[in-house]
Amino acid sequence: MIDATVFVVDDDQAMRTSLQWLIESTGMQVQTYASADAFLAAHYPGRAGCLLLDVRMPGMSGLELQAYLAREGYRLPVILITGHGDVAMAVKAMKAGAMDFIEKPFHDEDLLRSIRNALEFDQKHRASRAARAEIVMRLAELTPREHEVMAMVTDGKSNKEIAASLNVSAKTVEAHRARVMEKMRAESLAELVRMALLAAPDAPL
Amino acid sequence: MWVRIAIKPFLFRLLRRVPMPWIAIIVGLVAGLGVWGILDQVQSQQVDKIFGQELQVRLDLRARESLIRFDRYLSNHAATTRLLANHRRLSEYLEPLFWSEDEAVTPVVYKDFRPNWLPDFFDRDALTPPSQVLLTDPQGRVREIFQAGEDPVPPELATQVPASFLDSREVRSVIERFGERLSLLTSDAVEDAGGYNMGYLVVLVPVNDAFLAASQRGLDVGRAAVALIDSDDQHILASIDSRTMPPGSSLADWNAIYVITSQSLPEYEGSDSNLLFATFVPHASVEKMSRHVRIFERRQRFIAAAVFIVVFTAVIYLVSSRLNKVLKRMTRFSQRALGIAEPGFHRDGNQLLLLEEWIQHFTQLVLTAREEMSRKHQAEMRESEALKAAMMEASLDAIVTLDHGGRVIEFNPAAERLFGLERQEALGAVFAEHFLPDVTRAAFKRLLDRSQHLHREPLGRGELLALRPDGSEIPVEISIVLIELEDERFYTLYIHNISSRKRAEQEIKNLARFASESPNPILRVTAEGLIVYANNASRPLLLAWEAEAGDRLPEDWRSEVARALETGQPLEQELDLPDQVYSLLFAPIRDLGYVNIYARDITAVRRAEQESRQHQAELVHVCRLSTMGEVATGMAHELNQPLSAIVNYANGCSRRLQSGLGQTDELIGAMRQIAAQAQRAGEIIRRLRALVGKQPPLRAQTDLNHLVREVCSFLEFETNRVGVQIELALAPEDIPVRVDLVQIEQVLLNLAGNALDALEERPEDQRHLCIRTTTDNGEARVVVEDSGPGIASERILSLFDAFVTTKEGGMGMGLAISQTIIENHEGRIWAESVLGQGSSFHVTLPLSAPNEEVGEPDETPDASCCPLTDH
Repeated sequence: MIDATVFVVDDDQAMRTSLQWLIESTGMQVQTYASADAFLAAHYPGRAGCLLLDVRMPGMSGLELQAYLAREGYRLPVILITGHGDVAMAVKAMKAGAMDFIEKPFHDEDLLRSIRNALEFDQKHRASRAARAEIVMRLAELTPREHEVMAMVTDGKSNKEIAASLNVSAKTVEAHRARVMEKMRAESLAELVRMALLAAPDAPL
Repeated sequence: MWVRIAIKPFLFRLLRRVPMPWIAIIVGLVAGLGVWGILDQVQSQQVDKIFGQELQVRLDLRARESLIRFDRYLSNHAATTRLLANHRRLSEYLEPLFWSEDEAVTPVVYKDFRPNWLPDFFDRDALTPPSQVLLTDPQGRVREIFQAGEDPVPPELATQVPASFLDSREVRSVIERFGERLSLLTSDAVEDAGGYNMGYLVVLVPVNDAFLAASQRGLDVGRAAVALIDSDDQHILASIDSRTMPPGSSLADWNAIYVITSQSLPEYEGSDSNLLFATFVPHASVEKMSRHVRIFERRQRFIAAAVFIVVFTAVIYLVSSRLNKVLKRMTRFSQRALGIAEPGFHRDGNQLLLLEEWIQHFTQLVLTAREEMSRKHQAEMRESEALKAAMMEASLDAIVTLDHGGRVIEFNPAAERLFGLERQEALGAVFAEHFLPDVTRAAFKRLLDRSQHLHREPLGRGELLALRPDGSEIPVEISIVLIELEDERFYTLYIHNISSRKRAEQEIKNLARFASESPNPILRVTAEGLIVYANNASRPLLLAWEAEAGDRLPEDWRSEVARALETGQPLEQELDLPDQVYSLLFAPIRDLGYVNIYARDITAVRRAEQESRQHQAELVHVCRLSTMGEVATGMAHELNQPLSAIVNYANGCSRRLQSGLGQTDELIGAMRQIAAQAQRAGEIIRRLRALVGKQPPLRAQTDLNHLVREVCSFLEFETNRVGVQIELALAPEDIPVRVDLVQIEQVLLNLAGNALDALEERPEDQRHLCIRTTTDNGEARVVVEDSGPGIASERILSLFDAFVTTKEGGMGMGLAISQTIIENHEGRIWAESVLGQGSSFHVTLPLSAPNEEVGEPDETPDASCCPLTDH
């Protein structure tokens, strides 16, 4: 959590500095930006933390920035702050992947709790993303035949069935399977299946 | 025969030459003379006959008169005898005497003196004096004799008077012949007081010339004579004049000279005498009288005949001359009237005969003409038959001919169409039974009857229902014409289908009811203002005018009527009644000199207009609040910023103080920030209050530039949001206007708001909003110009209509209300736009004099009327 930074983007200077003042009182690092452009110019992907966005801003609005970030693959959790939010806007923001939607004036505890949740989520997300990257690297080491065998194994098929569909003997399948287990450093079949699920392209982050 | 043939034309020729009056005179004369001749013959005979009868009667009368005189004379003698017999002196004389019955007596004779018992009565009574007076005893023996004359006592009476001459009860008078002499013997009994017969008094009077003359005293002997005649030998015994008619002459001797009438004298006849009393009237006297009468009578007759001839002739002359003239005139008139040629005879002459000829001629002409007429008539008949057949064929009306029994004998094609029946089927059918429903048969019968009195009534015509063979009924008009031939009678029926006319009538009737059914008052007024028609709905108007249909309109409305007629254009006026308002449309009909007044009750409209004005005012207010609300929402968001900042600073401070990490200068900086943000919030609230604070609806003098600046400050948040800086190009000097500040601000806010909304559709670097103010020609002008997408030209015109909007949440009232407000300020508002390059909205307001009351509007805020909702 030490590396986590709260990025505040708000056009109103007083609002910006007062938020920094409040959040820093809990010991978290805060970086403030006067507009979405300023944030994008200074930011680089991979930084841990969360993003506190004012919905209404001159130039790119908060919602636009959120959509832009999602499009560009940034994984920062977003908390939106609005002066006069309405339900439609909140629903839109949440659907677009916002962590929270807070209306001004807000209670400081609510905001801080929301920030903590976001940072925690960011940290977990980062960890699972690292594990998946490892599994993808191990999968890259498998031969095509071993890929096929692994997919069938994780689908719950027996060695015989695999041998029949691949037109090879059961012993050969047994050898492929042992090699897959070894290359994937899987202790058991269950672990292998979890790895296959994790590595699936549509798996949740 | 040949004579008649020869004479007749000759007579006619003669007659023709003699004029009628002359013929009349001739005829009159001839007739008169003829009448006179006949009358003379007949009448003279008749007169002779009548005269003879008359003469006889007169002779009889004369004879009777003579007899009566004679008789009366004898009676006088009897009466005198009686007086003498009953005289006192006689009874006194006889009382003492006693006469023995059977002695022979010699009568005492008084010759020279009159005995005492005999008073002189004869002289006194002018009677013929007696020759002897005898006094006898009761047995009739003569006792005493008074000898008056020379004549001796007749021997028959010398001693004894025969009893036949005596009567004890009454006087007895007898004319008796004694010897050659005729005497009157009168006797009466002498009685004493006790009625005892003492004797008889006998008086003898000679009947001679003197006696007869005395009896006929006063009678003209020349005219008539009397005589006593012995009826046996027809000889005269005594006459009135013994010289001319000596006694003893025969009666026949006198017949030549006299007319003799004989009468008997029965009561005076003696024992043997048979006397007649004869009256002699001389023939000469009778003849004379007769001649006088005849001459007189003939003169009379002649005069009568003459008068008759004159009068008769005159009348006939006059009549015939008149007739002649009339006939002449008639002939002339006939010629002229009938156009017949002059028959060719003279005007003079006998018109009757001429007329006869002329009439013959005329009759000839008439006969010729009639033949010609008949020929022509037949030709016409043939022609008319052909025409009639064509008419029957071509007639649009059904024509049906009936015989006297009502049977159809002719049925034209139109009738076939009307009744839907072939002619052959219809022929012979009884019309009333086949073609009329029961209900109308009686009416049809009446029509038939009426058609028989065409000379009295115009036509047998009526509307009935006709029956078709399929049972349907159609209204028809039937007129019936009766055709009477010599022995036949036909009816021709003209039947006209009037269903469509009935329907049209119905419709016209309904149309006519339009006016009366109209719920709006409709009146018709003459040029003089006389109300000739007013429907039921016009009652309130009539009540207000205190008039009725037929009265005149009040004076001021009459002038309106006259004005409408004069101009010929309809004009509209309003009539304010206490609780109703009417709009009167005066529609002139100049041809007829009428004005129709159509009135509308516009009370509701007026009320609606009033309500609409009120609503509009309310709507303006609502929209203002709505506009204010949008502004206020922005402001509330703006207010959130400093408030949130303050809260953040405050929370941050308290956390730092709690954890003891807070550096004093750091905290002080935060506190300053808190104060600065509070200041900022206060500023926002002040502006908000200025906007929504209740403004009096009064107009106030103000500077338009100031208003624009105010509006810009209200819009600061919005402009920030859209990312536009409003460019102001204001006039360098103040622009004085007298306006309702709030309303004009509302208009400007609305225009600027619209511009900002429009700009949101453009990329940020192309967003421009410019507000300009100028003065020009006494007008202040504000132009709000944006670089938005612009407005399509076809929409520009409807831009200011209510409920026209391009915005999703808009009501479409903003521009409509802006227009109302600007127009209320006698200004104008319009839009100009180039599609794709932007729009500009122009507002002009009248400039006011700058030195007028520069009263600031009341700034007392009253937020309660515009509550702000918490966002």
